Amino acid sequence: MKYKKITPYLFIAPMIGGLALFRIGPIIASFVISFTRWNVRTAPEFVGLGNYVEMANSDIFWLVLKNTLVFTALYVPGVIVVSLILAVILNQKLKGIAFFRGLYFMPYITSMVAVAMAWNWIFSTRFGVLNNVLKDMFGVSHPPAWLADRNYALLVLVIVTVWKTAGFYMMVFLAGLQSIPSHIYEAARIDGANRFQVFFKITLPMLSPVTFFVLVFSLINAFRTFEVTYAMTQGGPLHASTTLAYYIYRNAFEFNRMGFASALAYALMLLVGLITALNFGVRRRWVSQDIY
Amino acid sequence: MKFGKTLTFVVLVSVVAGLSGLASVRAQEGVTLRYFMWDPEFEPTEQQMVDICSAELGINVELETMEPSEYWPRLQAMAAAGDLPDVFNMSSGYVDEWARDGLMLNIQEYVDRDIMPEAENYFVGLFDAARYPDKTEGDMYAFPFAFVETVLYYNVDAFDEAGLEYPSEDGWTWDEFLDAAQALTVDRDGDGEIDQYGFWFYGRYAHIESWIYQNNGRLLNADRTRFEPDENAIETLEFLNSLIHEYGVAPMPAEMEGIRQQDVFPLGLAAMWVDGSWNINNNRSQLADAEEPFSWALAPIPRGPHWEEDTAYGWADLMAISPYTEYADEAWDFIRCMTGPNRTVELTFPGKIPIYRPTAESEDWLELDQMPPNKGFLLEWARFTGPTSFTPGWGEWRGYVGGSGLEAYLNEVFNGNMELDEALSAAAEQANSVLERFYPEE
Repeated sequence: MKYKKITPYLFIAPMIGGLALFRIGPIIASFVISFTRWNVRTAPEFVGLGNYVEMANSDIFWLVLKNTLVFTALYVPGVIVVSLILAVILNQKLKGIAFFRGLYFMPYITSMVAVAMAWNWIFSTRFGVLNNVLKDMFGVSHPPAWLADRNYALLVLVIVTVWKTAGFYMMVFLAGLQSIPSHIYEAARIDGANRFQVFFKITLPMLSPVTFFVLVFSLINAFRTFEVTYAMTQGGPLHASTTLAYYIYRNAFEFNRMGFASALAYALMLLVGLITALNFGVRRRWVSQDIY
Repeated sequence: MKFGKTLTFVVLVSVVAGLSGLASVRAQEGVTLRYFMWDPEFEPTEQQMVDICSAELGINVELETMEPSEYWPRLQAMAAAGDLPDVFNMSSGYVDEWARDGLMLNIQEYVDRDIMPEAENYFVGLFDAARYPDKTEGDMYAFPFAFVETVLYYNVDAFDEAGLEYPSEDGWTWDEFLDAAQALTVDRDGDGEIDQYGFWFYGRYAHIESWIYQNNGRLLNADRTRFEPDENAIETLEFLNSLIHEYGVAPMPAEMEGIRQQDVFPLGLAAMWVDGSWNINNNRSQLADAEEPFSWALAPIPRGPHWEEDTAYGWADLMAISPYTEYADEAWDFIRCMTGPNRTVELTFPGKIPIYRPTAESEDWLELDQMPPNKGFLLEWARFTGPTSFTPGWGEWRGYVGGSGLEAYLNEVFNGNMELDEALSAAAEQANSVLERFYPEE
């Protein structure tokens, strides 16, 4: 009897232990560290709210925050639209369709370093494919220096990230599309609905739980964007493409400012938490609760 | 209960027996040093050196190499845990911070005892990089194994084609340099796009500071606690900017975006370039695969109007000993072995000058059958090795990668997006906020 009470806890103990050790522990530790000045090598020094005050007074922090919000505002709608279109196109019973689904999924599983190298060549100012097309086919005499121009660098990161991740969300949408019962479409066709009406009145509303998942997931990933910045622009030019996660990394591991980086991490956590809470708050207004 | 006590006893006996067994194995095997190195590309070469020194000293050495991006975070975490490797690579740029934090053993006594009696065999001028707190009077906390210098690379074939005399090893003036750069800037097919620029540079430290020091300029104040470029430094930056925007002999950095900066010269897109000697290997490998390989050579950085004496921008790569090591003597012997005559030419790092003079001055190291034909110039130039702008927080205010710091501000100037005085003022604000953390206002 005594063992029966303990047994369930023993089963979940490894999971709880791992969670405590590798998630909750670091979350608490970084909160404490955010009140210190700590270069990792020597003992931390307590500075109270110093890191948070510095953050609030830092022009770079506000620029980085703005970059992160702009990135998110461009990336999330972009990836949802692109992946939904891909999913609708690939939701057909055609010969070889599995190949195309695999093809569009490939970027998602490709190393970011390889992706960055390829896109760097595409966007290269002088020898890039894009600029040569703009020059030779469209007569643009001075095409932009995409990666070296403060007006374009962040946009390039958005494009590359959409390209890389759309395949994943396409699969999610595809699963959603295939779970919509065919009799609903049949009924709509009998009622005389055209393709656009079917898409906007049936497909989209029925997909809303999946869209909600994609929205939340892509939002969180957008706020945490790091790899593409690291691999393509290193945050340049002049912080124009520095995202919050990359700024945290630089402060923690390049500038050895663990305390400041931890304070930044809490700002990011707060931001992601607020946006996610907001999403869940308005969920009922547009997400279909129907179980089909 | 009785079973429990017996079990505890058995476990304790096993642990004690195991530990004593380990201890005896360790004693049999002798001293084992852990050595961390930051260049995985040269691990096979370094392993050969480690094997040679291990055999000579009768110790075991475990070599571990990792990329710098992993090396420094890991080393710092180990420092925090008081568990540094016995011997590890150290950058000239971090000596002050690590020595200040007590994370490197003071090796001055070892150097005085073993090195100074044969000082003529070492480039002792480079030892200053390892001194703390003062760069001339302080004690040494690490020992150089090699050093690098920034030089002017030039395309010999392009000079021949333009009918120009090669840069003098006695030193060119800025005017002479500019004349050559203008003659070397060529639009071969007349399409309005320059096919070969005279010169290539951007805001990178090695591209900029070399010129400043040859114009008797400084980026930092006298006690190196604040970013305060002097008039000569500003004059140098204005001259460099004019190369792009007034004379058109160098491209804007944005034009070369997407090409690795170290490939611009070997690709033939620029006929001259100032950067570190470590690029010799890349030049060789790029040109070996090139459709139209060309000859190239090395020269001093041109002298500015305020030049007083030659000043080379260079620094040492070092090996340090952990203050926590149990085997300080063995670690020092290992460093001596790794940096002395045992490191023969084939075991040196391409583009880096070994600290041991007989090796560096040997015909084998000069590689007279390869480009550059005047590699020995590096040894001449090394005599003039002077200041750097290394300070605590250097990477943060100087900007080691493209996105931030002085480098990023200068790139905006060179790309025509910002005025120089505006950029320097913004860079000073940012740099001094970093330096103030290490050197607070009193």
